[in-house]
Amino acid sequence: MTYRRSVSRKLARGLALVGLVGTILLLAAVVFFYSLTFDDLTAQDALIKAVREMLEHVALPLVVLMVPVAFVVRRVIRQAFDSLEEAATAIEAARGHERGFRIDTSHLPAEALPFTDAVNDLLGRLDDAAMRQEAFAADVAHELRTPLAVLSLEFDRLDHDDAARLKNDVAGMRRLVDQLMLLAQVDATAAAQFPLESVSLVEIARDVVSLLAPAIIAEGKAITLDVGSGIPMARGRREAIAAALRNLIENAVRVTPLGGTVNIRVGPDPVIAVGDGGEGLSPERLRELVRRHSRADHASTNGAGLGLAIVDRIMAAHGGQLTTDPAVRELSLHFPSA
Amino acid sequence: MRVLVIEDNDRLAKLVADGLQRRGFSCDIATTLSDADSALGGAVYDAIILDLGLPDGDGVAWLANRRQYRQMPPAIIQTARGALEDRVTGLDAGADDYVVKPVEIDELAARIRALLRRPGPRAQPVLEAGCLRFDTAARTAHCGDYAIDLSRREADLLELLLRRAGTVVRRETIEDALYNFNEPVTPNAVEAAVSRLRRKLDEAGATGALHTIRGVGYMLKDVAA
Repeated sequence: MTYRRSVSRKLARGLALVGLVGTILLLAAVVFFYSLTFDDLTAQDALIKAVREMLEHVALPLVVLMVPVAFVVRRVIRQAFDSLEEAATAIEAARGHERGFRIDTSHLPAEALPFTDAVNDLLGRLDDAAMRQEAFAADVAHELRTPLAVLSLEFDRLDHDDAARLKNDVAGMRRLVDQLMLLAQVDATAAAQFPLESVSLVEIARDVVSLLAPAIIAEGKAITLDVGSGIPMARGRREAIAAALRNLIENAVRVTPLGGTVNIRVGPDPVIAVGDGGEGLSPERLRELVRRHSRADHASTNGAGLGLAIVDRIMAAHGGQLTTDPAVRELSLHFPSA
Repeated sequence: MRVLVIEDNDRLAKLVADGLQRRGFSCDIATTLSDADSALGGAVYDAIILDLGLPDGDGVAWLANRRQYRQMPPAIIQTARGALEDRVTGLDAGADDYVVKPVEIDELAARIRALLRRPGPRAQPVLEAGCLRFDTAARTAHCGDYAIDLSRREADLLELLLRRAGTVVRRETIEDALYNFNEPVTPNAVEAAVSRLRRKLDEAGATGALHTIRGVGYMLKDVAA
């Protein structure tokens, strides 16, 4: 059943009913007051007179009353529903910033408040539940760090062929734990509606590349940074953008073969592109990877894990996008133009 | 080089100390701040590694307090917290470096070595990385026994890169350090100086020690690969 109870239709029906009942009552009143009898109505003169009387006392008042009423009612209803439609637009616009979102009730009619208050209350409870869940995940991740550090150091001490392999596995677990904590942080800052600052993408790229370069070079790979003309800026949180870029570069390094180069490009648009020596990632595969728990087939045992999901979240929080261009084997962070 | 590890998790402290020992440091462990006070009273340390949450107090406050009254060895703060605010607080309190727990022993060792190469009251007169040795007073460089003939500017460049071996030195930093304010710097002056130095290092046998990170800067490898 797709039947919807439309308020307008109901009102139209109500008004039609009022008109009908009014007509009958007025007709009865006219008949009664003028003491019209059936005989009067059969006489030609009397009938014309009666009809005129009826037009004057029934049809005219009805038209005078009903038309403005219908008009005003229609207007009031449209206004009331316009504010609801605006609220719906605001809800739709909040896509990606759901955390902490509440329907703004300041422009809504009082009659809608019980409903919106109930919805807001539900949103609050959902937020609380999500927050508890994330806090729990962050706690678990945090608690896992020390035992993993101990395990890793124990393997470090072990003089055995398998030690390096095991240590590698532990390093993968540690990275996952760090990513879980980062994800919790990203969600928390998204919820906090952090104040936006204007940040230089070139500066962020230089910092992150400087920080990661020693490990990349030690792995026998290279990294370069090409800066285009202009000063590409983005509005957002510096640490978060740096974390997104770090994850993207770490991902690129993983798929780049020994002796290969990871190339970062910034500007002139507010875009940071990370090119790797891998096979390129199709948009479909990227969408899959962004959904948290999957992992690219070509990734090693220390696979990306949550990396790209985190990048996607950070970009969404900045009103930007993570895109892929498999033809040039690049993943890009697109920020909205400042 | 003697290092004091201040860490309340007994097992972690032992493993860190053990790892550092196998990399040529001699280590002592303090599991509380009062332990650390007595250790620092009884011996001279080249560096301390400090955990922030200790049973008898906050590491940052302790460090700031000690820095006020006494000469302190350089300190690396080690903490499970990774937030930026912690980093700023720690560095304000007088920490020289900051690592996020859990840290790799290799990284920690590299950070300690980097700290000891910094100019300061306990700065070493000879800087080393891999086979390279640079005497900061005599301004002479060697790779093993091979003496490297360097111009004044190349020697300055090598010293700058050696002091930060294992980390990327930004191009702008090199420009600022090598050329004074009034000197006109041609766009590729730094590139030219670096490529001359690289050729000399290659001839001396330190092949592949000096890396270019295009668009960012240069890096001298910390340990010969």
